[in-house]
Amino acid sequence: MSSKGGFTMPKLAIGAVALIALLATPHFLGFHHQDLLIFLTINVLAVCSYRLVTLTGEWSLIHAVMMGVGAYTVALSVNHFDLAIWFTLPLAGTAAGLIAALLCFPLLRMTQFYFLIGSFAAGEAIRLTWVEFVGVFGGTSGLRGVEAPVVWGIDFLDPIPYFYFTLVVVGICLLILYRIEHSRIGLTLHAIHWKAPLAESVGVNAWRYRALAFILGSFFVGIAGGLKVHYLGSVTPNQFTIGFMVFILIWVIVGGYNKFYGPVIGVVVLTIFDESIRSFEVIRPAIYGGMLILSILFLPMGLESIPAKLKSWFGSDSASDEQALSDQ
Amino acid sequence: MGISRRKFIQASAAGTVAASTGFSPLTFASSHDTVKIGMNIPMTGDYAPWGLPGLYGCQIVADNLNASGGVEIGGKKHKIEIVSYDHGYDIEKAVQGYKKMVSQDEADMVMMLGGATVGAVMPWGERKNVFTTTLLCSDITPDTEHLVATCESHPLYVVTGVEWLAKNHPDAKTAVIVTNNDVEYGLQAAATFQAAFEVAGIEVVDMNLHGFDVTDFAPIVSSVLAKNPDIFCMATSFYTTPLMEQLYHQGYKGKVISTTLDYHEEVIAKTSQEFVDGTIHQFPAFDDPKLTEDGINFPDPGGFDAEFRKRHPNDWSAVSWEYPAIMLNWLEGAKAAGSTDSDKVLKALQSNPNPEFVFGGGKWWGKELWGRDNVVIGRWPVVVIEGGKTRIKEFASVSDWLDKHSDVLIKYMKSHGLRTVS
Amino acid sequence: MELFLQSIANGLVQGGFFALFAVGLVLIFGVMGVVNFAHGELVMVGAFTIWLLHAQYGLGYIPAIAVAIVLVTVIGLVMERLLFRPTRADPLAGLICSIGILFILQVIAALIGGDGPSKQVPPPYQGTLVMFESLRIPYQRVFSLAISVAALVSLWFFLTRTRYGWALRAVALDREAAELQGINTNRISMVAIGVGTALAGLAGGLIAPLTNINPHMGHNVIVTAFIVTIVGGVGSLSGAVLAAILYAVFHTLITVYFGATIATISGLVLMVVVLIVKPTGLMGVRVSE
Repeated sequence: MSSKGGFTMPKLAIGAVALIALLATPHFLGFHHQDLLIFLTINVLAVCSYRLVTLTGEWSLIHAVMMGVGAYTVALSVNHFDLAIWFTLPLAGTAAGLIAALLCFPLLRMTQFYFLIGSFAAGEAIRLTWVEFVGVFGGTSGLRGVEAPVVWGIDFLDPIPYFYFTLVVVGICLLILYRIEHSRIGLTLHAIHWKAPLAESVGVNAWRYRALAFILGSFFVGIAGGLKVHYLGSVTPNQFTIGFMVFILIWVIVGGYNKFYGPVIGVVVLTIFDESIRSFEVIRPAIYGGMLILSILFLPMGLESIPAKLKSWFGSDSASDEQALSDQ
Repeated sequence: MGISRRKFIQASAAGTVAASTGFSPLTFASSHDTVKIGMNIPMTGDYAPWGLPGLYGCQIVADNLNASGGVEIGGKKHKIEIVSYDHGYDIEKAVQGYKKMVSQDEADMVMMLGGATVGAVMPWGERKNVFTTTLLCSDITPDTEHLVATCESHPLYVVTGVEWLAKNHPDAKTAVIVTNNDVEYGLQAAATFQAAFEVAGIEVVDMNLHGFDVTDFAPIVSSVLAKNPDIFCMATSFYTTPLMEQLYHQGYKGKVISTTLDYHEEVIAKTSQEFVDGTIHQFPAFDDPKLTEDGINFPDPGGFDAEFRKRHPNDWSAVSWEYPAIMLNWLEGAKAAGSTDSDKVLKALQSNPNPEFVFGGGKWWGKELWGRDNVVIGRWPVVVIEGGKTRIKEFASVSDWLDKHSDVLIKYMKSHGLRTVS
Repeated sequence: MELFLQSIANGLVQGGFFALFAVGLVLIFGVMGVVNFAHGELVMVGAFTIWLLHAQYGLGYIPAIAVAIVLVTVIGLVMERLLFRPTRADPLAGLICSIGILFILQVIAALIGGDGPSKQVPPPYQGTLVMFESLRIPYQRVFSLAISVAALVSLWFFLTRTRYGWALRAVALDREAAELQGINTNRISMVAIGVGTALAGLAGGLIAPLTNINPHMGHNVIVTAFIVTIVGGVGSLSGAVLAAILYAVFHTLITVYFGATIATISGLVLMVVVLIVKPTGLMGVRVSE
């Protein structure tokens, strides 16, 4: 549907309104909600990069730890070498990408359940390394005192400038991710997911493409981790546990992983929802869990599929036919 | 150099920031007749025992003060209101809770447990001049002007426990240390215990630093007991109950020393009173007769203890009285300053060379190790469990030990890669 | 040497406990193809039940264990009927549903017992079995080991000597073929999750007096369960038991001689190595693709 559509006037108008709304949002929020907005923007990059990894149909549980690799890279490079943010962010991505490249050799020999658990084990081993080697990584207390960057006299410890900066970086990354998905590479990844034997028979090296998706996904989530630590100034190992990984999974699945924008919808809607039920405190995770189950049972294609569903219920038959066609 | 750059930017950008956010730092100076005490603490998870009971304690003290008409600050009576936020020891939540407390709830000061969460909030806290407190003096850095540790100075006071042990059990000559491998609690305490043992002429024969994923303490305990130690030191452990249980089952007969032994009734239920008796730690029960002596700066400790146990029978921990003590200390500062403004309260407190300290004998300290005299050290109790009850044996001076032996402490802190300015 | 023996003894006790819940996880995965992420929380529910009924309300330890087993089994059956069966076509859906259950169970535990400080259950069996001066096992652990072994032996009899056991193994081997043979696979799924969750409830009951009980204790349990499952071979029950014991002894020995975090890292690395060298695990058989 959106993948082939050109930039028509209504779409441009909607885009412009959305952009203005996005730029205006932080000015109407309190400090802690501005923080939430920044973390949300960073998490958008986390889920979109995760989707790239899952395009081949394999679900990994190491993505959160890769975000941590980026975060630790930034913390170390700022604290020891005082590098500027222009260098630290690409460095964060590269470090995560490199580790992913190394892990390809053991991990990508596995598929499905084995890959899920294998990636989890590898991630947990990396995370425990941060805990164990106190001298380098600060142990469970992590690293602190990472100074917020100052660029052209703008202090990024203040939420609004940093939000705009994050928006630009995440925007660029999303654009690249979108281009990748709609390039030959992306199409091949889809092909491996749905027709692996066929793809192999026409000479596609599935391993190489899976590796590419894994490395690129890790690269971008590494940048997300770097963005986070630059703002927060601290990093600890318990930010990147299986708990956070589960949230990435939930966002992607509830949002819907069949479309590029599905995970974005998931992370935005669930973050707002989560904040709106803050007053329930103790039972909040249960509400979250219940929603998760309901969406799996009744909305297996994710929130992203709601408009199409509504259309097919209320609209003409031709609309639903068109939808059915474009879904394929 | 990073600091000066930041300072410069801060000065030049402050105006723009205030304009762009529609938010001036002056907003924080409260205009209400209520003082708002912020508690940004862990109430769930591993660290909950060192958060939640403190909130209970503060509510009791605040209720008492409010019932007597409130606190007079600047010629006006103020009621006390407590605003709390559970960060579950997650740094992202800690930062959000801290900002919410200060900007939305207009808290006049914020009390925190300490560690990574304090490290994460302080850059912003310094920017907004938020009076913030910690229980860990290792959180103090040269940059943290508004961060003070006015009650607990973890882990400096543990030297008094070791001193008492060496004096009263001169035959105990070897020790093992088993504690968590986190920096702020485990390693800081381990280094301080090592220093204290060295000064006392006790040899540390084995040390086991473990993570938070341990479900079975049997192997850890049997590996250190194989060294036949006279003293088993738990430093600042989150797992005192399972460690004590294993010591009991593995037939350990020597002395046990710890920073604290929270919920020791549970330990007795899992082992025996006979076994737990004699354990040395540093956190008294507040029905202790020694707390009614002169020089104790806590209003009616016995009444506080009784009320706490009435409201929350099973929740007394090391921090139950500490957050209230910090709150009272801040209120003293606010009274003296006639204002709740962070800088004025801080100045009022720090201008007193002999600050009021909960166990007396207070003095400002910390520059030698962390670059700022923002820690109050004073007399600290050594307690021993006797007949199933925690009883104070003596109050000992932490500063006397530090005056003589701070070089030994610095040596061990460096050996663990812990930050010091010297 | 004494330390070594003591460590082996500690490892065996731990291994029995690991085996109980790993076998349940394998059973559910084998028959239903679902990775039950909430398995650790089922152990937690078992332990919480003991805390509530035994430590708080004074019910006997053994009756409390019985209640824990029944309660956890019921939760398992409800999960199968309402969640896993409707989502059978998509294995990922089952996994996500179990994560939802995980959150809900944690909250229920927190509402009942509070999410603050961990709970403790005084051991019903006091005292220590002293084999010789430096080899000591608390009676509570002896009891735990004995019950684990008894439960595993009963499971073995059930699987090899009863009709349901045979049917269950047949479904695990090849679901479609079993269906063609006239086996009611839905009923067998109920049996599998019933047995698997009952074992988790029992494991919770046995661990309760030995550990810190809190709503989040399931996390460490599930990590261990994954390692044991992979090392043993995903579809293999005997592999899971063997791996549970080997892993527990391995973990205990590394903890004693090198430290606890190193032990966990080594366990994870061991698991990745097994996945590379012998993806079918110690006792696993290659499943046709």
